[in-house]
Amino acid sequence: MILEGDTLIPADRHAVWTALNDPEVLRDCIPGCQSLERQSDTDFTSSVRAAIGPVSATFGARITLSEIEPDRGYTISGEGKGGAAGFARGKARVDLADEPGGTRLRYTADVNVGGKLAQVGSRLIQGTAKKLSEEFFGRLGERLGATPGAAPSAPAAPVAAGTAGLSGRRLLWAGAIVILLAVIAWAIGR
Amino acid sequence: MKAIEDFTLVGKTILRREDGYLMRGKAQFLDDLPEPKGLIHLAFVLSPYARADILSIDAGAAKALPGVIDVLTGKDFVDDIKLFAPVIEIGGYRPVRRPVVAVDRVNFVGEYVAVILAESPYVAQDALDLVEVSYDPLPSVAGIDEAAAPGAPVLHDHLGDNLIFKTAFETEGFADRFAEGDVVVEEEFRLGRVTGVMIEPRGCMACPDPIATNMTLWTPTQIPHIVRTAIADHLDIAESALRVVTPAVGGGFGTKAHVYPDELIVVALARRLGRAVKWVQDRREELLTNAHAREHVLKIRVAAKNDGEIRAVHLDVRTNCGAYPNHPYSPTLEATAAVRMMPGPYRIRNYKYDVSSVTTNTAPTGAYRGTGQPSAFLAIEGMMDRVGRRLGLDPADVRRRNTIRPEEFPYVNVVGVRYDTGSYLPSLERGLEMIGYDAFRAAQPEDRLVGGKYRGIGICNYTEVSGTGAPGWRVRGFAKMPGFDSSRVVVEPDGKVTVYVSQADAGQGHYTTFAQLAADRLGVDWADVMVVEGDTSKTPYGTGTFASRGSVVGGGTVIRCSEKVGVKVRRIAGYMLNADPERLVMKEGRVFDPASPDRGLTLREVAETAYSMNNLGLPQGEEHGLEATDYYDPPMVTMANGTHVVQVAVDPEDGKVEIERYVVVHDCGRVINPKIVEGQVHGATVQGIGEALMEEIVYDAEGQHLNANLLDYLLPTAMDVPDLELSHIETPSIDTVGGIKGAAEGGLTGAVPALANAVGDALAGLGVNITRVPLRPSYVFEQIRRARAAQEGRT
Repeated sequence: MILEGDTLIPADRHAVWTALNDPEVLRDCIPGCQSLERQSDTDFTSSVRAAIGPVSATFGARITLSEIEPDRGYTISGEGKGGAAGFARGKARVDLADEPGGTRLRYTADVNVGGKLAQVGSRLIQGTAKKLSEEFFGRLGERLGATPGAAPSAPAAPVAAGTAGLSGRRLLWAGAIVILLAVIAWAIGR
Repeated sequence: MKAIEDFTLVGKTILRREDGYLMRGKAQFLDDLPEPKGLIHLAFVLSPYARADILSIDAGAAKALPGVIDVLTGKDFVDDIKLFAPVIEIGGYRPVRRPVVAVDRVNFVGEYVAVILAESPYVAQDALDLVEVSYDPLPSVAGIDEAAAPGAPVLHDHLGDNLIFKTAFETEGFADRFAEGDVVVEEEFRLGRVTGVMIEPRGCMACPDPIATNMTLWTPTQIPHIVRTAIADHLDIAESALRVVTPAVGGGFGTKAHVYPDELIVVALARRLGRAVKWVQDRREELLTNAHAREHVLKIRVAAKNDGEIRAVHLDVRTNCGAYPNHPYSPTLEATAAVRMMPGPYRIRNYKYDVSSVTTNTAPTGAYRGTGQPSAFLAIEGMMDRVGRRLGLDPADVRRRNTIRPEEFPYVNVVGVRYDTGSYLPSLERGLEMIGYDAFRAAQPEDRLVGGKYRGIGICNYTEVSGTGAPGWRVRGFAKMPGFDSSRVVVEPDGKVTVYVSQADAGQGHYTTFAQLAADRLGVDWADVMVVEGDTSKTPYGTGTFASRGSVVGGGTVIRCSEKVGVKVRRIAGYMLNADPERLVMKEGRVFDPASPDRGLTLREVAETAYSMNNLGLPQGEEHGLEATDYYDPPMVTMANGTHVVQVAVDPEDGKVEIERYVVVHDCGRVINPKIVEGQVHGATVQGIGEALMEEIVYDAEGQHLNANLLDYLLPTAMDVPDLELSHIETPSIDTVGGIKGAAEGGLTGAVPALANAVGDALAGLGVNITRVPLRPSYVFEQIRRARAAQEGRT
């Protein structure tokens, strides 16, 4: 199943980048995110709780990063297991681009789902993914909007956050797959 | 046996006695039965993977949940349930056996991995989420083409590849006869995977007898005796110690004519724990684990003369077995049905078939209404149209040219099936006349576009196999399928009648139909006849109710058995009346000599003598009681026939197929109860509309089931079903008791090809070639879009 989407984040590319590198920001913005831990330079684990309708599950996710192009794009692959609810496996390509008014984030994910998730949720994942992504980017936008100098009207303003180290950068990719997994987990209960 | 000509009640519509309680919600289905004390409720942990090794199962948290009695895995059953497999003896079949709960390896999504035993069904469901299973996913394969390809993951190591069944047949000199055709037309047809979706999903409850070691299994099955034998075989239980009872059954459709692992599991657990054990399936489990059907690929080559005569046919059928062979049929059921039924109503004398089945990481496939026949007729009826188009002949004329004529009966077809009687040509002609075929064709423009929609007409002229007897099952390798059914007819001391039949009603109206037959033969009011079915402790052994057996075999044995009792009634009455028993008749509850009708006896008076309830003795050598038992093994098969003619409009804007006219001509031989036959035809046709236009179980390439719910597995609703214009032709069988032929499946068999052909006809002007079902709007729209784009590209 292919999931695609894009959003305009009202901040310049570097601000987006930096904010996304902050684990605290990610945990706040990803619906249901309970933890986000780095296991090695390229491997992460996270835990996302989704409780919708009659089904609630905690998705344990493992994430691996590859094809990293700093500030421009990356590929993330991961697998999330939700016990009786099923599982999701996927790969996503994420690209950032400058645009008037902020930064355009585009993602294309190829996700395979299995178990109950596939049996009762296949049809709903696209729509739910869109909705949850909007929720995530909305929260992120709010946060960035509150950051001095990160408003769309002042894209060239200095970035408030600290330096974006390698591990921080990777957290961005981790965050993105977790969003996808959360989105998928969300669809289980539908 | 000769057709019986003196029926009085047979052929009359009697309203079904079961409808009163069914329509008022009074029927007791499995989940309505009173629950025994100490009942254990089961829930199954299902595999989310199509193929994986089970690394570990942690049931600690589930077991800690209050109300959970235990959590068992596959290893817990290996000692008391043998590996599960049908008994199939046919060349080219390679046996595969399976544990009833997976051990170490899962092979399809939905396979049982663990069993929760709990004090309530709610706790059992909650516990499902707490069982942590660790899997190591393995490469998997779902489709027929992929499973047969070199290098495909092999499901069962001992087979070496995925080919579980393969056989072939060829008439003498086939290649030469094929070469005699002026044209060769070739096509590949595909049918989606479907299943019989019932109002009542499955379930079962095993109750140990508190006094004896006996066990009762309540299960809504179509085959109670076969279930008993299978469980006895696999669990080492004496058949005499196991009673299988069917409560009210909310639809069977062949899907409930299998033995399922859960039936073995509840009995094994009830025996082990000494407590009653119950399991009820939910809708998702139904769509995941019940026997699926179809998913066939049919490649057909037809050699025809210029006048439309079919010289020879080569049919290659490939089917998807699923992960394991179903019990009791294995994948050979639909495979052999498709190739053996294809000749249908046509004079096809030169025939070659190849047929095979592959194992894949999908749910096991098995029986479903129509079994193999919708596929066979999609192929041969599709070819009738194509031969017509190729030769510039009307497709109706191609059929006329090849249809077996009334004077040719009895006719033995190319695979040795006897057609004793039939109305193949009259049925076709009547169907064409009813729909106004000639006028439609005359008015139909070249591009088929009328009022903004593409309009076409489709025909399916079919035979319908029914009432298969022992030889019919043996020839297809079903070694443990008895073929016969049986009955016991008892005239009780008060002269009322009880009929015990080896079958099991799933909504077909047996309680009415069989009462009608017995009342007819015994000359009593049908309301005085009670019918008992679906209880192995009350009825003699039999095969069950599936494959259109009810009327032919069940009806046949009730007729024979009633007549046997009638002989004894007349013998005793003759003694009482001092009259010749041969001269006596039974009518309106009385026994008398037509020469002196006033000097007769009531059936009750005769029964009182038989049961020693008066001062009269019995004649010398006569035993007390007034009953008989009968076992009836019908002919190899009995062929009914019919014709569907359908007019459709296809909307190019959205690809939706609208049925504008639907004509059914149906010949099931002697009609017992016309209203019930109409119900069968309507029901089967609606399921055929579903299979042709919307129903399909979808697996992705890895074997993930993508629509195990009824929002995504589409069933026809009242909005999708047109008014059927139905006409009966009655051509009694000369081979079966009472002249009866089956009636349950032709509706489906006729609908799938007729609808595909109608859509094919509607879109023929565009150059669209319809070769598959279901014809969902998205698919049809895409074909129209492409064809229009290609046309524009040319102009």
